[in-house]
Amino acid sequence: MSMEKSAVLEADVPSDPSAPRPAARGSLTLQNRSVFSAVLFLILVLFWVFGWLRGATFGDLLSLTIWGIMLGGIIALGAIGLTLVYGVLKFPNFAHGELVTIGAYCAFGIMGMLPQGPALRPFSFGWELIAAMILALPIVAAVALVVDRVLFYPLRRRNASLVLFAMASLAGTFFLRSVIYLIWGSDFHFYYPGRANPALHLPFGIRVQADQIFIFVLAIILVGLVYLLLEHSRMGKAMRATANNPDLAQVRGINTERVIAWTWVIGGALAAAGGVMYALASQLRPEMGFFLLLPIFAAAIMGGVGSPIGALVGAIIIGIAEQLSASFLNPAYGPAVAFLLMIVVLVIQPQGLFGQSGK
Amino acid sequence: MDNMPLLKVDSVSAGYGDSEILHGVSMEVREGEIVSIIGPNGAGKSTLMKTIFGLLHPRQGTIHLRDKDISHHSPYQIVGLGMCYVPQVANVFTELTVEENLEMGAFLLKNANMDERKERVYELFPRLKERRRQRAGKMSGGERQMVAMGSALMLDPTLVLMDEPSAGLSPKMVELIFERIEHINKSGGPAILIVEQNAQLSLQMAHRGYVLAAGENRFEGTGQDLLNDPEVGRLYLGG
Amino acid sequence: MDQVQLARASLVAIPLILLALLILPGRKAVRLPLSIILGIVVALGLAWGMKSGNLTYMMSFSTMAMIYAILSLGLNSQWGLSGHVNFGVAGFFAIGAFTSALVTTTMPIGALAAYSQQAFGLGQPFLVGVLAAGIVSAILGYLVSIPVLRLRTDFLAIATLGIAEIVRLIFQNERWLANGPQPLRGIPQPLFCLVDKPGCSWAPHWLIAWLQPLGPRDYSFVYSMIVAVILAVIYVLLERISRSPWGRVQRAVRDEENSAAMSGKPVTFYRIESFVVGSFIMGIGGAIYAHYVVSIDYSHFNPLFATFIVWVMLMLGGSGNNKGAILGAFVVWAVWTGAQSLVDLISPALSLISPDLPSRSAYFRWMLVAILLAAIVLYKPEGLIKERKRVSDFMKGSAKD
Repeated sequence: MSMEKSAVLEADVPSDPSAPRPAARGSLTLQNRSVFSAVLFLILVLFWVFGWLRGATFGDLLSLTIWGIMLGGIIALGAIGLTLVYGVLKFPNFAHGELVTIGAYCAFGIMGMLPQGPALRPFSFGWELIAAMILALPIVAAVALVVDRVLFYPLRRRNASLVLFAMASLAGTFFLRSVIYLIWGSDFHFYYPGRANPALHLPFGIRVQADQIFIFVLAIILVGLVYLLLEHSRMGKAMRATANNPDLAQVRGINTERVIAWTWVIGGALAAAGGVMYALASQLRPEMGFFLLLPIFAAAIMGGVGSPIGALVGAIIIGIAEQLSASFLNPAYGPAVAFLLMIVVLVIQPQGLFGQSGK
Repeated sequence: MDNMPLLKVDSVSAGYGDSEILHGVSMEVREGEIVSIIGPNGAGKSTLMKTIFGLLHPRQGTIHLRDKDISHHSPYQIVGLGMCYVPQVANVFTELTVEENLEMGAFLLKNANMDERKERVYELFPRLKERRRQRAGKMSGGERQMVAMGSALMLDPTLVLMDEPSAGLSPKMVELIFERIEHINKSGGPAILIVEQNAQLSLQMAHRGYVLAAGENRFEGTGQDLLNDPEVGRLYLGG
Repeated sequence: MDQVQLARASLVAIPLILLALLILPGRKAVRLPLSIILGIVVALGLAWGMKSGNLTYMMSFSTMAMIYAILSLGLNSQWGLSGHVNFGVAGFFAIGAFTSALVTTTMPIGALAAYSQQAFGLGQPFLVGVLAAGIVSAILGYLVSIPVLRLRTDFLAIATLGIAEIVRLIFQNERWLANGPQPLRGIPQPLFCLVDKPGCSWAPHWLIAWLQPLGPRDYSFVYSMIVAVILAVIYVLLERISRSPWGRVQRAVRDEENSAAMSGKPVTFYRIESFVVGSFIMGIGGAIYAHYVVSIDYSHFNPLFATFIVWVMLMLGGSGNNKGAILGAFVVWAVWTGAQSLVDLISPALSLISPDLPSRSAYFRWMLVAILLAAIVLYKPEGLIKERKRVSDFMKGSAKD
């Protein structure tokens, strides 16, 4: 009896069937990946055609595409944090949207305490917003750490099932959201109520706000920093190692709890930056994080869970798709478009554009 | 020092959940030895490895590394004491390059003479140097085994546990890997505790061996003795 | 005891009898008469002893709790039975509610048509609406399950959450469908004639005379009776199903997908079936909700909240256990409604902290339920009632030894 059992247990890690033929697998993945990229590209082209059929001008469509890239920047800030946490901890953190919201509101609260300077033209905001954002980053990182300690750490110790992690993140979502409601109420807020934010007129009839450009550049800089961190720092490599194979990471002497803590810090700080940018582009409201949640998940999954570069690329594709769809669909359906793209990804290539192929 | 074994497993029982797999296993590894554990499928070889390395904790009995009781240490602490482990499967970080895999092997050292350590591994496995920028997931099974062994050697351990290093490899690659293991051990390297299906080969190399069956020790002796023992041969060596 | 109390007691008795049947142990021959007697006695006691306002409140409370119990049962037949993580309960809830509303209402005419739009209004009876709600919701469940059920658990959770959000977006934005952002009003209340003058045309004379002292304010008594019967039917059917060979296969699929596949069972097909069954039940829950509140709009079906609270109910009660699902719904709904009075109580103290706080105090309830869920997940993940290991009925005797 015990012999039988132990045989089963020892065989619980089947040897990697793909191992003996790495070359074949590599080319197959590559092929899938290019087909997949082509499908995504085709969808975006189709969106252009739909928009054009509905009477949108070339300039309109180009503007929408560029706005989409900018929106992608915001989505990316949320998606990168999500994908890191997802990669290392292996569960979908539904509370990530609330980290975005808290970031936006924290900056809002801090701004209320700072003196308001003139706008940094051509942008619509002043130094105080930048300062408030920078101060909000560590606060949200700390919130993320506390949530992890209280909710997820005990589950990790128990080796709890994925569903319990997801439920715990749902509990976290509602707790954090109730805090936001209690402190700031359910009304909309603006960082700069009533301040004009004229669009710049660029060649080809493109209209873009300076703020949007700022948002995108900031997103790119932050993504770049995360990339450098992951590729070249000791902690970053340990983070990738832990995401890739948590058991082996332990065997190699990596303190995985510290890696997890850093993952939350980075994820929380990026979410906070994303929240501030999102609120700057639209408005502050308690559900803003939830509105971003689907696009964030869609981007993270499209890019491949655990891959920050993938999350950026996914976010830009999702952003463009959402904005372009507004040329032929009610703009309210933006999140639905993001979601449908995500389903396409899950059905064609669940590991995403840059996902781990070895598993 | 001469009398104290490097690793001493003293009547250890361990298992998962309701089922106990090891029933009072005892064994030891002395400084500089290669010790091989053989036994049929399901004898508890891998479980023993995991228990020694702190991935599982014994229910009864103790495990000592030199004079330190490590029965309830976590892997992270055990690595710090100079014991490294090469798991049978999933033993490389597939998404990391070869070089990064090696660096993770010495994660505890915070970059101290990292390059020198890497060079030493590259000397053992020149093929890894050629491919040091390649992702480990793109390599063949044998190359992965080299990466896994190299990572375990990065810390200059006193004892390396190897779980079925020959599994899934071509005969030629098995020969190469075993030759390297012997070489590492002979050139003043660590003691090696190896668990193998390929009993013949591993006993030839080993100073001593244990035969494990149904979670208990059955035979023990020098590698040659076990190879020559008719009963061991009949039962476990397929001859 | 006056005539009004007696009439109310007769309506209260039916849910109570069903409740007694659910919780009393023992053989059927003993249980049934005992339950009837107990139900009638307690009903008389309640009608006589409680203030009429409190009794009405209790009935509307239990009506809502029973509606949630239906949703919770629906979720249980997906999660408890087969391990599907459906984070889109709200979507199926909404589909059911709107379907039944469209099937049972008539098209608005005259001046009303300018304010209210809907795709169609069939003017069918309540039960047709409920059944249609279940069927449409089941069809949605089926369509969703084809691409989505093959996914990993975590992806399934995300995908179903997305579906709930799309359903909400559609009902919010498509005015032609069900009046878009405006509420869809005038959803008929079944058997309303029982408490209205001159009484139901089909009812026998004695019944009209018996219920004659009741007025429209007493409708919640009638409706809670209807909901209780529907809940009981669903419960009994689910229990049957879960003891049947089909139910055992479902659990086998849940616990050991590989071995079920190896023993030659079409796993995907089974998985789809249980998802569809759950969707059907959730759709019915939605329909019953719509006929209770009379006027519905998209905001009733907040994709996270409606899903979240049903999950809390199921987790608290004990996944995999139908009794637990019902118990959880009552407990959580009691916490949810009870918390409001608690918050009202402390609101003077809150106003000392900040003048804005009392107006936002409703969100303390969110916090409370969130903490409740976290506590369940952390300290009692198996819920109040554990899942029983079930064997088929004829094996029960031999399984004891």
